[in-house]
Amino acid sequence: MRHDNILGLVGALLSLLVCILALPLRLPGMTLMDIAPNWLLIWLVTWSLNRPVLIAIATGIALGLLQDGMTITDSQALIPTHTIGLAIAAGLTALLQKQRYIQEDFISVALIVFGMAVLVETIIAIQLSLFGWSLDQVWMLHQRIALTSAILSSLWSPALHFPMSRFWRWLDK
Amino acid sequence: MQLIRNWWGRYSLQLILVGLGLGAAWTLKQTQAEVLVETYRMIAQPFQAEYSSRQILENAQVLELQYRITEIEQQNQNLRKLLNVKSLGTPEGIWSGVIGRSSDAWWQQLVINRGTNQGIKKGAIALASGGLAGRVTNVFSNSSRILLLSDPTAQVGVMISRTRNMGIMRGQEQNLGVLTFFERDPSVKPGDIVVTSPHSGLFPPGIPVGRVRSINLNRQPAPEAIIEFSVPLGQLEYVKILPFDPPE
Repeated sequence: MRHDNILGLVGALLSLLVCILALPLRLPGMTLMDIAPNWLLIWLVTWSLNRPVLIAIATGIALGLLQDGMTITDSQALIPTHTIGLAIAAGLTALLQKQRYIQEDFISVALIVFGMAVLVETIIAIQLSLFGWSLDQVWMLHQRIALTSAILSSLWSPALHFPMSRFWRWLDK
Repeated sequence: MQLIRNWWGRYSLQLILVGLGLGAAWTLKQTQAEVLVETYRMIAQPFQAEYSSRQILENAQVLELQYRITEIEQQNQNLRKLLNVKSLGTPEGIWSGVIGRSSDAWWQQLVINRGTNQGIKKGAIALASGGLAGRVTNVFSNSSRILLLSDPTAQVGVMISRTRNMGIMRGQEQNLGVLTFFERDPSVKPGDIVVTSPHSGLFPPGIPVGRVRSINLNRQPAPEAIIEFSVPLGQLEYVKILPFDPPE
């Protein structure tokens, strides 16, 4: 393993840690209707853009497990998992880049994050519906949560994508 | 054989890393992400923000007192009828600061900076000015996680304090909850005060929860009421943790 590979991995892990620790944080001005940007998803999209599809999916599953661990209180039996949504989002992001549908710039990354945020929240809503929650309640909440989370996450995505892509490009040189 | 060896030579490192990553994530999930929550607490410690929402909190305190008085009057009347009722003492609580809110838009949870080292146990209830805020669902060494009343999975057995009609209240992700009554025809009107029910297994009885905002008696299969929480759940800075052992 080369030194810059290790450096890249350490950088990725550190930025991931920062994103995870930012999840429970509610800074004034960063929330909309009590919903904060989904930093984990932003990190996942940034990471998956230039990776093989399988690695992206594995990362998605790992991040889903992390987010489950941070939110699931063990007293409840049936709680939707984040692994499915994040794995699909990561796989799709990796595929998008493979097909060269879009270039890697601020706008397209923000667009991908927007779409993936809606996808992730929709998959949670589908799981909730399957678990027998009342449909009208779930889909009313889904509208609010998916849109708010998508708007906030996509607007904040350059804040993470810019330094990370600069860092990885600097490593490649 | 050569093929497999070549393949292994090319991909072994990636496979090992993927396996390590998945394993680490699984371990963290199994431990309820204790390491992450505790790290968050360590970092958040010096930045405890002081923002002013004094007015709302004071209003909530006045409301809480009104609710308490109504509840006490009601209890008094019942006591006169019954004469023999076990009195409930109010134990000392542990005050703790709120250091984080849930990490997912769908759930409503808090992270507080007190844990087993400060004597907090799972199942303890969280009070704030205004009444009930939630209960402790995960305890770590120096931090714990609280499930708020507004969480959609939080179900509280409650009672209309004026008429003793009972029901179950569910969170709605906002400062509102939905109360589903057990009876077909409950006597309830907007403005009625809602307290935790004596049949609740998760909360001690008689803690103020909120006030009835509107009622839908035609709702199937059971009538519903919209409850306004008395605690400003969106602006909690401190909560008081009262130990509570749920009767099994």
